[in-house]
Amino acid sequence: MKKAYLGIDIGSISTKGVIIDEDKNILASIYLWTEGNPIGASKKVIASLGEMLDQDNYKVVAAGTTGSARKLVGAMCNASIVKNEITAHAVGTTTLHPDVRTILEIGGQDSKIICVENGVAVDYAMNTLCAAGTGSFLSSQARRLGVEVEEFGKIALSSQNPTPIAARCTVFAESDLVHKIQMGHKKEDIIAGLCHAVANNYLNNIGKGKKILPPIVFQGGVSKNQGVVKAFADSLGEEIIVDENGHLMGCYGAAILAMGSGVEREFSFDVADMDFTTKEAICPHCANHCEIICVYRNEELIDAWGNRCERGEIKVGS
Amino acid sequence: MKIGIPRALLYYRFDTLWRTFFQELGFETVLSPVTDKTILDEGSRYSIDENCLSSKLFFGHIAVLEGKCDAVFVPRIANYGKEGIMCTRFEALYDTAVNTFRDKDLKFITCDVDLQEKKTEEAAFTSLGIELGCSREKSLGAYRAAKTADRNSQEKKIRYQEQQLEKEGIKILIVGHSYNLHDEYIGRPIIKNLYNLNAIPLLADAVDLDWARREYTAICKDVPWMVNRELVGAIHQYRDKIDGLILLTAFPCGPDSMLNEMIIRRVKGLPILNLLLDSQDGNAGIETRLESFVDIIRFRKEAHI
Repeated sequence: MKKAYLGIDIGSISTKGVIIDEDKNILASIYLWTEGNPIGASKKVIASLGEMLDQDNYKVVAAGTTGSARKLVGAMCNASIVKNEITAHAVGTTTLHPDVRTILEIGGQDSKIICVENGVAVDYAMNTLCAAGTGSFLSSQARRLGVEVEEFGKIALSSQNPTPIAARCTVFAESDLVHKIQMGHKKEDIIAGLCHAVANNYLNNIGKGKKILPPIVFQGGVSKNQGVVKAFADSLGEEIIVDENGHLMGCYGAAILAMGSGVEREFSFDVADMDFTTKEAICPHCANHCEIICVYRNEELIDAWGNRCERGEIKVGS
Repeated sequence: MKIGIPRALLYYRFDTLWRTFFQELGFETVLSPVTDKTILDEGSRYSIDENCLSSKLFFGHIAVLEGKCDAVFVPRIANYGKEGIMCTRFEALYDTAVNTFRDKDLKFITCDVDLQEKKTEEAAFTSLGIELGCSREKSLGAYRAAKTADRNSQEKKIRYQEQQLEKEGIKILIVGHSYNLHDEYIGRPIIKNLYNLNAIPLLADAVDLDWARREYTAICKDVPWMVNRELVGAIHQYRDKIDGLILLTAFPCGPDSMLNEMIIRRVKGLPILNLLLDSQDGNAGIETRLESFVDIIRFRKEAHI
């Protein structure tokens, strides 16, 4: 029996999963929509990975989770490691692209830049309060234009003359967009303009003050959009590498981190059939009214968090 | 007479000065409790939307003092002459507070610090003492005693930080206004989080402030605000002794928004995390950013970069 490691990246929009062997080769992978249900999406991911894996020869000995629902799903699948998405992405990408110097990433709700030196992440930045210029911004603009967001890239590439659009703020961008439509700009030019706006907004905000050195890898859901890829290439004057497995870098990194943690924990594909529920409790001890999340597996409490202080602590297994 | 002090904004800088002054004059002081959700909600209710998070909290702290004191102390502090100006908010604070709470059972006392108009801190506090019915001599004496106590308390902070500096581990300087660093809802969770990540947080307000106000020019010569000069000076003092810098700002702070940009551009070779806080409840975003920041510093150290 050979050892295998499982990684899951549960983002706001999509959930990704991967199983790797001890040489970090991908044995199985899956990508699906979170649809506001991280537990359900993760169960589906685990079930699919279980079907894809040659379970007669491989056994998952450690699991890692990352992404915004990492804690919840980490509790669910008894993860050896629960890691933030920046570290997970950095580890995943530098494993596949050891010479990478800059990782650009635009996801559904956040965007980040990671600077790498000698295969090690040395600096990063992430969007702060505002999700302007991320995947959800592009989706909402696609809806307004009556175009599928998946078509965006192709349409953008057909434009000869991208329309300048102010993308600093989603609200301003929308009014600017409506204005440009009413002025008679062509749809493909507006779409190309939006792609440029996303790239420039990213470079002026997240990328500000960072040295963007090649090789540059672009990943996250928005990297599937050829229009944004071209906009980055035009603005930076460098080749932009988009890995076909770019969407898997977070879960791939989580699996590698699980392997590196040295912590082997019982993992069973049966979790896909178990019943996981969460309950929200309001801590009554002070005016902060902390919202404590309790996670139950088949009605047994397995984890809890959300308290600001010890008074709200809920002991598991007592 | 009981004097109420809101535990917010400049209290965190002048706590010893203010409380010692009133105690020396024989007045009891009442502090509002540490920030909690109720105070934040109340503060948001009493503030205009454009106010920064920290001043929203300030109004919440005034609101809880109703019925607990005879007067709330809110000084008008415009500038310290050549040492720099204050954010306009601090000059306007007394008047906005009086106006905001005009229908409430709250009285306010104030004093004017405006060195450009020749109103020194000493003169301001002396005339406040006289206004409260004390003699000029007693008021001046109380101010001087308060000033000494203030210096001692600052020295204590510096000595504590020096001990922290001697410890082994990842050291991160948190650069932010004292009222953000020490607030239970803004800076405290970040400090706690860094300890949980086995990092050693250092605070930019624990420096020799006079030194910082002289030496900040090593990083940037044009900083109009006194407190920001001290913060930039603190970066200059600590930059060779730390592994990373966190810029902690409460949204939307005018001075910080300009200074942070400058710091990111001028302070090279040190990982910098820009943390912008608003009144959002969830702290998952903060945890993600802090954890990855500490991870990256660790990676750098392990790779000897």
